[in-house]
Amino acid sequence: MTWNKGKPHRILKNDMGRVMRQITTKQRKTAIFVISVLFTATFLLIGRLAYLMIFHSEEYATDAKELHERERSIKAARGIIYDRNGVVLADNKPVCTVSVIHSQITDPERVISVLCDVLDLSEETVRKRVEKVSSIERIKANVDKETADYLRSFELDGVMVDEDYKRYYPFGTLASRVIGFTGGDNQGIIGLEVKYNSMLEGIPGKILTLTTAHGTEIPNAAETRVEPLAGNSLTVSLDVNIQRYAEQAALKVMEAKGANHVSLILMNPQNGEIYAMVNVPEFDLNDPYTLNIEYAPKEDTSLSAEEKNTLLNRMWRNPCISDTYEPGSTFKIITATAAFEKNAVSLTDRFYCPGHKIVEDRTIRCHKVGGHGSESFVDGIKNSCNPVFMEIGARVGIEGLYEIFERVGLMRKTGIDLPGEASSIMHKVENVKAVELATISFGQSFQITPMQLLSSVSTIINGGKQITPHFAISAKNTEENTVKTYTYEGETGLVSEKTCETMKSLLEAVVHDGTGKRAYLPGFRIGGKTATSEKLPRSSNQYISSFLGFAPAENPQVIALVLIDEPEGIYYGGTIAAPVIAEVFDEVLPYLGIEPEYSEDELKMDGIGTFPVPDLVGMSIEEAKKLLKAYEFGDVYESGEGTVITEQFPEAGEEVKKNTNLILYMK
Amino acid sequence: MEKPVVRKTEYKPHTYYDYSLLFITLILVCIGLVMVYSTSSYYAVKQKFGNAAYFFNRQLIAAILGVVVMVIVSKIDYFTYIKGIGKKFKIRLLFLAYMLCIGLQIYVLFFGEEVKGAKRWIKIPFVGTFQPSELTKICVILLVAYIVYAAPKQLDNVFGFIRVIIYVCPLLALVAAENLSTAIIIAGITFLVCFVVARKKGYFFVMGLLAVGLVACYIFMGEAFRGERIDAWLNVETHPKGYQILQGLYAIASGGLWGKGLGQSMQKLGFIPESHNDMIFSVICEELGIVGALAIILLYVLLLWRLFVVAVNARDLFGSLICVGIMVHIAMQVLINIAVVTNTIPSTGIPLPFISYGGTSLVVLMAEMGIALSVSNRIEYER
Repeated sequence: MTWNKGKPHRILKNDMGRVMRQITTKQRKTAIFVISVLFTATFLLIGRLAYLMIFHSEEYATDAKELHERERSIKAARGIIYDRNGVVLADNKPVCTVSVIHSQITDPERVISVLCDVLDLSEETVRKRVEKVSSIERIKANVDKETADYLRSFELDGVMVDEDYKRYYPFGTLASRVIGFTGGDNQGIIGLEVKYNSMLEGIPGKILTLTTAHGTEIPNAAETRVEPLAGNSLTVSLDVNIQRYAEQAALKVMEAKGANHVSLILMNPQNGEIYAMVNVPEFDLNDPYTLNIEYAPKEDTSLSAEEKNTLLNRMWRNPCISDTYEPGSTFKIITATAAFEKNAVSLTDRFYCPGHKIVEDRTIRCHKVGGHGSESFVDGIKNSCNPVFMEIGARVGIEGLYEIFERVGLMRKTGIDLPGEASSIMHKVENVKAVELATISFGQSFQITPMQLLSSVSTIINGGKQITPHFAISAKNTEENTVKTYTYEGETGLVSEKTCETMKSLLEAVVHDGTGKRAYLPGFRIGGKTATSEKLPRSSNQYISSFLGFAPAENPQVIALVLIDEPEGIYYGGTIAAPVIAEVFDEVLPYLGIEPEYSEDELKMDGIGTFPVPDLVGMSIEEAKKLLKAYEFGDVYESGEGTVITEQFPEAGEEVKKNTNLILYMK
Repeated sequence: MEKPVVRKTEYKPHTYYDYSLLFITLILVCIGLVMVYSTSSYYAVKQKFGNAAYFFNRQLIAAILGVVVMVIVSKIDYFTYIKGIGKKFKIRLLFLAYMLCIGLQIYVLFFGEEVKGAKRWIKIPFVGTFQPSELTKICVILLVAYIVYAAPKQLDNVFGFIRVIIYVCPLLALVAAENLSTAIIIAGITFLVCFVVARKKGYFFVMGLLAVGLVACYIFMGEAFRGERIDAWLNVETHPKGYQILQGLYAIASGGLWGKGLGQSMQKLGFIPESHNDMIFSVICEELGIVGALAIILLYVLLLWRLFVVAVNARDLFGSLICVGIMVHIAMQVLINIAVVTNTIPSTGIPLPFISYGGTSLVVLMAEMGIALSVSNRIEYER
């Protein structure tokens, strides 16, 4: 074939005799131009294609792979929470999740009936989920292992049972508001479970399977498995035994006094480690959506979902850190500290209490209607005398007071490692007039949280060191290697050494023979201060009785605060709250390795100290009774008939406690 | 006196038949059948009661019909279409076809089968559906070639071009009403055939520049004037309407050099909706890789080259222009299809010639190839 190039065009005629035109050279060149443009465009598109397939390949291919893979996540085991001695507070227990894969179900009716029976669900719910066209549909979570194994034995097509973990709290109600609980998605909801969620939760793993766009798994396609990474375990400063002592004591007083609730905190004032934080009634962490006795409706009324939610949120609240109150007389510790720091008072200063003090146009009464009369500052604090503190508050002035508040941490949050901490509510300094100053001086007209009070008093008695109340001590990974040690830095020298020593001895005096004497425990040196706060509005005549105590007074190792909300009957803090702390300290101080050291006076008192048992064998009963008057045995039992003692128990020479019973055998 | 003997055998031309064109066409159709089966079987099982070969069977029937049509048409003299028939009133076949196309296009506007919001199909009982716009393309190619062939010099000024447009306009407007992309192809064919013939081409460049300017304004003037398709094109990874193209891109990119192997595409498993239609090239890339994709593009290049060779060597201008028209038609469809699939231009529904699923399109394209073969058959050459 030739290209007719250069050849003159033949004139062709068609059948009708018309001249047939041929393509001209110019038109041919244009055609070459056109096809060149088309080929260039093709070439450019090839470039684009190569760019996509070679240089973009990885990026898009990864996206595409993600699209094709159905992800089934494998829950990571959540980290365990231990108390300071390694006792498990929060653990995981295996449970199962049951789901259905729509495309794999062969016998939907049987699947529905078996699922209804085994899982105890309504047919309607199951049917809806089984018949829903989706790649995977969850039927029920948190199915226990036995039920799941039973379900597996049916070997139903399209029913999948995934092993899973559920959070489990071995002590149930213990320290419920502190430990907190998790939701179904392995996320903490309240308490330490929220605060340390990122440390505890771990990284979920996944199983990847290739599927079509409609979610059907492609047979024989390789499964990729990414193993989950278990969460880190957390060791906290709580001590299960102390927490339990404290809870028992709190429950006892709550029941005895018919109180709404009782809060009790025990902390190490030197470093801020919290040993116990009780808020009775607690709730069950393994069943956190059931209202406890305090919040459950009294009558058999049904609550709307919203009402129940509100009540649940109230129940989950931790009043130690989230609720503020007027501290009342316990706050006099702070006022006194401010007075000493500002050199506004000395121990020997004398005051006169007529039972009230007139500030501007108002008469502010002392709790003792008749007045305490003439008294020294030491007596003033022992008596918890309001006029004395109004007086020294006025001497220090509001700037001085606020400066000390600032130093001991009352103007900020304590920084405790729990969510939901409240701030103190204080007057603005420019709004404080004489009346406000007077009321602030004895702990009224402002609000702080119990934790703030405890933390600021700690700073005063530990020699002026700022502490951060906390629970977390360290986090360890699954290989038992420490991942993180929690340290809390604080300023020192916030309160002078002298003030600290003075305050410790003053507060010891309060317990020894002041308003706090019911917290007195022989053999231990305990300092403390009582308070009876009137709840707002004052006309309601409801009170919070509280007592703050610490021991040993010279070198405090433990500080405790108890709050009794709305006690019935006698409501004085010194009467009802102080004994609670005595009871707790009686157990906790020996537990913490603080042995009693009895003073001379204490040894003389009844029931305290030991003595050697005298030898009574061979004596007549009359002689023995005469001799025994010099000893402090409890009951003396006589056994056998006769008049001569042949045997005795305890035996002679043995060192026994006073009031020990003595048994005498006679012939 | 004896008349001198005219030796009729003095000039005896050999008839030519472009077998390369024929076989390239057949190879493309075969590749198309394989790919239609590969891409449609999953969808067919889902939609057509488990018959994996549903779409393949229909395409196979269309292909066989197409081969028959192609062979027959290639033996018909292409002047037949513009010859008058009948004794008294000479009516040209082309005119009849023109009227038929207008009739069908009007019919489809009112009584067409609606698929996904577009009325483009006419239902034929027991056979299936028929897309008149495909027939319109072939009609336009012949019409434009004929008008230009009848008076090529008129195209030397812009009014001659406008005259051609006036003839094409009724069809163009009717097609554009339901199927903008086919209208673009028809306009392209008209434009380029006239361009080849015209001796003075200035006004074509002016018009071309004007069109490019208008398109650029439309795209870049701002959000307010921009259509959804442009938005989807520019933000293919985030725009909801970009889903199909993005899935296509995933397919293309996961092909790599050698592809995943025939039948191994993941994206055809429902990710690319109806991957046997306009998006088939993305699955080709995924399964056959860049090597397979280039091989297919090369086949198209060869096809266009053969059409070009036939066009410049045709016995007459009419044949040349028909071939130019067919060449432009196929080239535009291939280029636009691949450009859409690779997200080079905004999305528009143009099937890949010979490969995408679609009976009417396949038969019409093969009929076009038949005409091109018949043009090649008229080439006379000396040994």
